[in-house]
Amino acid sequence: MPVTGRNEPLSDEKLVELALDGDEDAYGTLVRRYQRRLTAFLGQLVGDIELARELSQEAFIRAWSALERFNPRYRFSTWLFRIAHNLGIDQLRRRRLQTVSLYRTDADGGEVEVVVTALDKDPLGHLENRALAEELHQIIDDLRPEYRELILLRHFGGLSYQEIAEFKDMPLGTVKNKLFRAHSVLRKALADFL
Amino acid sequence: MNPEEAHVASECLAIQEALSEHRGEVARLNAAEREHVESCPGCSEVAAAEMALGLIFREAVAPADSSVVDGVMTALRPVRIRRRVVAFVPVAASMVIAVVGALLVGGVPGSGVLSLFPTWSTQGWSALLGGVSDVYGASSSGVAAAAAAMNPAFLAVAGVIGLVGLAAVVGTARRWRKISPWRKSD
Repeated sequence: MPVTGRNEPLSDEKLVELALDGDEDAYGTLVRRYQRRLTAFLGQLVGDIELARELSQEAFIRAWSALERFNPRYRFSTWLFRIAHNLGIDQLRRRRLQTVSLYRTDADGGEVEVVVTALDKDPLGHLENRALAEELHQIIDDLRPEYRELILLRHFGGLSYQEIAEFKDMPLGTVKNKLFRAHSVLRKALADFL
Repeated sequence: MNPEEAHVASECLAIQEALSEHRGEVARLNAAEREHVESCPGCSEVAAAEMALGLIFREAVAPADSSVVDGVMTALRPVRIRRRVVAFVPVAASMVIAVVGALLVGGVPGSGVLSLFPTWSTQGWSALLGGVSDVYGASSSGVAAAAAAMNPAFLAVAGVIGLVGLAAVVGTARRWRKISPWRKSD
């Protein structure tokens, strides 16, 4: 991994600069830095860890192809997650056209789409505590879309509040408030596991 | 709610938001906030719950997958070659513009100019070639020779085209060099 003279990891900005000069190792460092979080984020977004791996690979390749168009005023992380998010949304749209959805009735009597996931494709399949994995999966699915997306970006994508604000083009205060509310919902729903 | 209770509530809210942001780590709060958490059962409870929630999410992120990294790194090479080829197009285009400008400066008046080369432009073109090592000399003698044979307005336009082409070659080549390095072992 490229490092500075004081053995500190290089910043994303410096690695992008080196990658633009053709240093593939620098880009490799960025890939290793974000692969885990990007795949986890996409896994929750599309509900399929295998697909998430393919999409994260595609996102990194697209980012590399478009690197000279990257605006250094923004963070590499938010730019990369935006590419990945768009890929994930496109995939969901395509899948919605190809599949027949199953619905269940929620507490308010409304219809909620049921996502049936095979265990080997379950993005939480690595969790040994299956009860927690199922509960977490259900709770995240049931979150309001605006909360759900922020939770995915924060806890699976590992983005900071500032990065989320940039990603969503939203004031930082709004991000803090919404995530606090989302956390309140999660704390209540997961009370048995906390 | 009296003003004092409202103040406490708003203080709790601000601190709980901060706890939520810092995954329940009280140490990341300032001294006054830490003191508040220690004396406030509600905020202490939130701190503990946020910390537990943070741990759950930490475990929920699947381990790194080296196959993704390998797949990406393998795919970069063809993408780089494609980028290099695509990026060369503006360099080539600006080279053409520069060459056309140079040919025109070399003394090719009116339409059908290229077909008349080198008959009409021998004087200017040879002056340019002969002056490669001396840009100023080449330019001035080329322009002087060409000016004797053609309309000054035409010459000016040709000169501008040539200069624009040269500037474009420099600009695009610099960019191309940046995004298509050759120093790698390929």
